[in-house]
Amino acid sequence: MKPPASAPAPAPAAPPAPAREPHRGTSPSLVLALVGSGGDGVALLGDLVLGMAAREGLYGMMVQSYGPQIRGGESAAIVRISESEVLYEGDQVDVLLCFRLRDLKRFQGSLRLHPGSVVVLDKEEAGEPPEWLGRTEEPVYRFPFARFEEGLEVEGPPKNMLGLGLLCRVLGWPIGLAEDAIRRRFGHRRERLQVNLEALATGLTAEDPPSRPAPAGKGQGLFAETGNEAIARGAIAAGLKFFAGYPITPSSEVMETLIDELPAAGGRVVQAEDEIAAMGMVLGASFGGVPSMTATSGPGLSLMTEMIGLSSMAELPAVIVDCQRAGPATGMPSRTEQSDLYHAVYGGHGDFPRAVLGVFDVVHGRDIMHRAMLISERYQLPVLVLSDAYIAQRRQIRDAESSRSPVPARTRWTESSGPARFDITATHGVNPFRVPGDPGGTYLAAGIEHTQEGNPTADTSMHHRMNEKRFRKLTGIAAETHDWFRTLGEPDAPKGIVAWGSEYGLLREWVAAHPEYRVFLPEIIHPFPLEAFETWRRGLAFTAVVEMNYQGQFYRYLSSLTDMRGVKSLTRSGGAPMTALELERYLAEATK
Amino acid sequence: MKAKDYRSSLEPVWCNGCGDFGVLKGLTSALADLEIAPEKLAVISGIGCSSRLPGYTRSYAFNSIHGRALPIASGLKLSRPEITTIVVGGDGDGFSIGLGHIPHTIRRNVDLTYAVLDNGIYGLTKGQASPTSTEEFKRDRGLAGVEERPLNPVLLVLSSGAGFVARTHAGNLPHLREMFREAISYKGFSFVHVLAGCVTYQGPTYGESIYQRCDILPADHDVTDLTLAMEVVRRERFALGVIYRRPPEKNAGMGTHDLAAAAGIWPALGTPEAAREMPGE
Repeated sequence: MKPPASAPAPAPAAPPAPAREPHRGTSPSLVLALVGSGGDGVALLGDLVLGMAAREGLYGMMVQSYGPQIRGGESAAIVRISESEVLYEGDQVDVLLCFRLRDLKRFQGSLRLHPGSVVVLDKEEAGEPPEWLGRTEEPVYRFPFARFEEGLEVEGPPKNMLGLGLLCRVLGWPIGLAEDAIRRRFGHRRERLQVNLEALATGLTAEDPPSRPAPAGKGQGLFAETGNEAIARGAIAAGLKFFAGYPITPSSEVMETLIDELPAAGGRVVQAEDEIAAMGMVLGASFGGVPSMTATSGPGLSLMTEMIGLSSMAELPAVIVDCQRAGPATGMPSRTEQSDLYHAVYGGHGDFPRAVLGVFDVVHGRDIMHRAMLISERYQLPVLVLSDAYIAQRRQIRDAESSRSPVPARTRWTESSGPARFDITATHGVNPFRVPGDPGGTYLAAGIEHTQEGNPTADTSMHHRMNEKRFRKLTGIAAETHDWFRTLGEPDAPKGIVAWGSEYGLLREWVAAHPEYRVFLPEIIHPFPLEAFETWRRGLAFTAVVEMNYQGQFYRYLSSLTDMRGVKSLTRSGGAPMTALELERYLAEATK
Repeated sequence: MKAKDYRSSLEPVWCNGCGDFGVLKGLTSALADLEIAPEKLAVISGIGCSSRLPGYTRSYAFNSIHGRALPIASGLKLSRPEITTIVVGGDGDGFSIGLGHIPHTIRRNVDLTYAVLDNGIYGLTKGQASPTSTEEFKRDRGLAGVEERPLNPVLLVLSSGAGFVARTHAGNLPHLREMFREAISYKGFSFVHVLAGCVTYQGPTYGESIYQRCDILPADHDVTDLTLAMEVVRRERFALGVIYRRPPEKNAGMGTHDLAAAAGIWPALGTPEAAREMPGE
């Protein structure tokens, strides 16, 4: 197949799922889907289950799904627990707990049963699970979650805690584990604690519930955090001292975590009036010599774009985290996508250098922030970090983070060492930074084109030479980051997949099950580690670029860097993370 | 140090007779009076004729992008509170594209001085109407927005809760100098409204005609009376001087208040600190 002429064709619509060996309860991994209405507290239930798994020394992750209204409406939490690290929630549900059948409807396509699945419904639900969910050979188990008076549902014990009690029985977890989890969460609210503990006990009395024993843990407690928390904590560890941001789904928890944790590390957080102001404050603090960042999502990134140009022009370090959501304008705020790649790499007027990094998963969130701060502080330019809703709001169990030192402070100007602030001959275009407070270092930082001293100029040859100087930074960055990528699978596997960002989790599982594939994922997207990529792809009989956007942005970006003839573009938008079943279908189609 | 010690080697590109020369002179004189070390000083602007001013000062200067000087200055001041931070700009930069940042900078009470040279016109882009251009002027010149009423920026600043508000004009150097001195010394957000004319696009006599409409506030003007201040700035003629000055000890804010500083967050509404900030106290 020849490369697409204009837009790579979106992947075909989903045909019925091919049958596949189902997961069994005895397998080392277990997938639980918890579905309810707003107020049922399924997110909290998922959170508690994941926390208990971490206490047991199990790995796992939880993703949440909710409607466009973000608060209220149907909601689902999918929790996968396992003996080894998981970065993908799996394709089929081992245990489905649903408080109301009609809430399932919105999750059509993202939930699937297998013949051994356990299904738990409310006792009052007359119906059977819908056809699209797939069939289980196990009988549906019913439990009285809701309380009714004269045919109307009235407030009763919290359904999520009844569910937790029941799940302890299903998973074979000791009651103490659940009690501890509830105490940790509600210890400061006596009344809630009591109500919840009572409901837990009621759930535990379930008669003859089905059994799907959880895998055995390491015994030694592990640690759960979300992608947004990892980003925030990674930045603090790297030496962040100033954050300004504006609330936006799905990035807000970066700011919320920093409000809690940055002051203790000697830093400050400001909630700005909008994203323009947030990015302005970041540049003001950076102008003051202070390592600074912001976090946002697509709409915020659009508003920050002029400021990002200023960051590059005035040579002020800044880290911008973009937790991508689906679509332009408002799009689908609660859905994930990889569609801000063009904006990150190309967005903005005029020519200016910037670096763009991509996050693979929660654990990588901390590493990537170290790398982003390092490049930003060292090369005095904006560094964009592309995360997405799938990573940002996923809660993942991980090993404890080993402590690491902050990134080195930016090279600082002194009167004796003093080249001009924008000396055009500087190695890699970087000059020592002049920090307010340093005597003799006063200069003009400017968004207007300037001379080596920083004075405004309209000299056309100076503009060209300054561009050359500023873009020289990319050469330095490319040399320093030539090994910032990951590969999966055997290096001589005949088939190749190129992807970036959160596709990592799915592809890790894919390669483990399909040894004929090797995978290349850049950690730094721009400047792209091209040499490593060319070496990696030698001898491939088939190559596909897998990504989650409509235009095939990564595929086209790569096409601007190297020969991509014969390489397939497997891309789709839609907002839901790609599943293994889907990938299997796309690859089968592409290799036909 | 003398006023000229606060000047960089650059020669201003302003038109002959421009009010910006007065602002530059008044500012550098005030800085000399206050003996602020140039390396402890940051002068920050957006874009416009008056926004060229930072480049003419010996300071850590930042000539940024249109309308965004206040957030940039806030970021600097909130992370480097020991740096004296001054923002300068014009009425287009401040009251049009950048207007949204004014009440929020005031709300945070960032300890900086914001001086707006208000000549009621866009000079750098050659004579378009600004938010403070009068209806009469727009009609005479055939400019856009004849039917749009001009903004009263000082009333806006007062009603947003600014702790220090002064007005002066570019033709009165001693008064400019005094107002800058007062504003820079004030602990908390301070605002200086500088009236001026644009010699090129409003004609050589416009500035003078504005100055003729100014009165120095009487010596017994009660600067702590917010209601009076709001009445004063709604008069037909321009009152010059310190219009409002809340005692700094009643002035909590991110830039000055220790607790808020430690938390990095503005005190929540309803707290005594926040209540003290509300206009009308």
